[in-house]
Amino acid sequence: MENISKGLVYFLYVVAFVLLNIMYLIYLERKFSAFLQQRPGPNRVGPRGLMQTLVDVVKLFSKEDIIPEKADRWVFRLASLLVMVPALLVYVVLPFGKNMVIADLNLGLFYFLAVASLSSVFVLMAGWGSRNKFSLLGGMRVVAQVISYEIPMIFSLLGIVMLSGSLKMTEIVSAQSKVWFVFLQPVAFVIYFIAATAELNRGPFDLPEGEQEIIAGPFTEYSGIRYIMFYMAEYTHMIAVSALATTLFLGGPSGPVLPSWLWFILKTYFMILLFMLVRWTFPRIRLDHMMNFNWKYLIPISLANILLTGIGIQIFQLMKG
Amino acid sequence: MEVNPGESKTVEQQIEKNIILTKLDDLLNYSRAHSFWPLTFGLACCALEMMAAGGARYDISRFGYEVFRASPRQADLMIVAGTITDKMAPVVKRIYEQMPEPKWVVAMGNCAISGGPFADSYNVVPGADTLLPVDVFIPGCPPRPEALFHGLLTLKEKIIHPKVVNKVE
Amino acid sequence: MSSLSENLFSALKGEYPEKIEIIENSNSVIVLDTVIFADVINKVKEYGFDFLVDITALEEERLSCVYHFLSLADHEMIGIKARLDDKLEIPSLSREWLSANVQEREVFDMFGIKFTGHPDLKRILCSENFIGHPLRKNYIVTSRR
Repeated sequence: MENISKGLVYFLYVVAFVLLNIMYLIYLERKFSAFLQQRPGPNRVGPRGLMQTLVDVVKLFSKEDIIPEKADRWVFRLASLLVMVPALLVYVVLPFGKNMVIADLNLGLFYFLAVASLSSVFVLMAGWGSRNKFSLLGGMRVVAQVISYEIPMIFSLLGIVMLSGSLKMTEIVSAQSKVWFVFLQPVAFVIYFIAATAELNRGPFDLPEGEQEIIAGPFTEYSGIRYIMFYMAEYTHMIAVSALATTLFLGGPSGPVLPSWLWFILKTYFMILLFMLVRWTFPRIRLDHMMNFNWKYLIPISLANILLTGIGIQIFQLMKG
Repeated sequence: MEVNPGESKTVEQQIEKNIILTKLDDLLNYSRAHSFWPLTFGLACCALEMMAAGGARYDISRFGYEVFRASPRQADLMIVAGTITDKMAPVVKRIYEQMPEPKWVVAMGNCAISGGPFADSYNVVPGADTLLPVDVFIPGCPPRPEALFHGLLTLKEKIIHPKVVNKVE
Repeated sequence: MSSLSENLFSALKGEYPEKIEIIENSNSVIVLDTVIFADVINKVKEYGFDFLVDITALEEERLSCVYHFLSLADHEMIGIKARLDDKLEIPSLSREWLSANVQEREVFDMFGIKFTGHPDLKRILCSENFIGHPLRKNYIVTSRR
């Protein structure tokens, strides 16, 4: 009984954290892109435009719900319901501060990567269930992109595991007490960043949902609340991936003066701003160039990174002992 | 409270005393008016003025209207920007019907209002309001981005105060 | 006038003296009979004018079909105007020049000239159940307002 109530409290905490951040992040994206493009951005609704997301969400909640006549109703509805589930499940292993992990699993990193890749199933369900050729094509492209870019992401994180000797999140954080892993593994950081951008269907890798290409990709037939579930799932995933990057590369929730959870939030927002900067700077990458880049360049480089990390660890141990 | 259909006042006037409903309506109208998501429906030259309005100099995103969606299922404002030809007319109607309620239509430019300079042509539909219910007409050939903003802000006022508008008819 | 088109026009005039008329001070030629049209096009291709720029039509007393060709190697452009009789038929160029496909559909839509040998001659700009050919001089426009 106690476990159930504890679980419920943790669940509410995660949902509140995610929702508040998403509200702010949608506004931040519009303001940050406006700043990069030298224009004001939303500034009419509320003080400095802060209520813009709230107004958008209320409007979307009150839209008519349309399900196409020939669509597969169960698949269509389930896809939009369940897309937030893997995105929220990964928050269980993230260290929000010192001693602030919900479940410090021994396999923390492995759990994160395994559950995060489930989201592509629901996007494929969305593309299939809409019974629309653009959706199907968009869904196929999303799946191809996501499963291709999983591989360099995992390989780049293997270097971190080798350096810290464990998959447990808190041990990885404490292994960075002297020097952050971003300085020991810079190539892995860059590869992880590129692969994560492709996983999120963001930035230069947004061909499956770009409106000049394929209307809205797998989400073409979704309106109102169903659409906003997909939109929120993308931002939830982005926050989770940035949080993982701070834990593994930037030393997690640790730092001199401020409380640990504040450091965590600051570092996560730094990563999120980096994602946004890349999105609003670079043009879209074509599908065949994207696949080419992944299989011919990113995977060999990440394998070479693992090799060099192994050699480096051996040399370090020989020099020490 | 009870609503009595036999009373002399209309149902709406009786419900007005119910504060919660009217406040919810006001909230929904306010939200809908401050965050249109326009559908990218540029047909001709007015589309370029619409794109210029979305650019950095005139910046439609100040008002929150910069999220142009390509899919009609996710849009709620259709800005008919340009000439509607006979071949395009069934497409316009179809896309309008695919948009979910509540939805609005803005006719931008002289061609969308009445056919414009091509009004007597063999292939041009004389105005978007022969096909769709238009809410705001923005004259100009093409209207400047500031004129487009004026039209969108007029639509915003129309949505926030629906009673005033309905009283005119 | 430059040399390539001069050569072409003198060859054409030499072969069909009554059916070809060269317009002075311009790079154009009028073909008075559609019977020889296929031969004229073959000669045009032979002389190196390999790029079809435009197909359109013109109505003076009768309809004529106007073609412009460009020689990419010598940078010269010529025009060919083919006068049509009452049947309004002319051989299609869509087999050799793929761009002629859509251009001939436009000319058919606007003027009603039929191109024999075209794979799919149907209207391209007006709607499918449109009656009449708008750019002809005897087409009456009714006001729809």
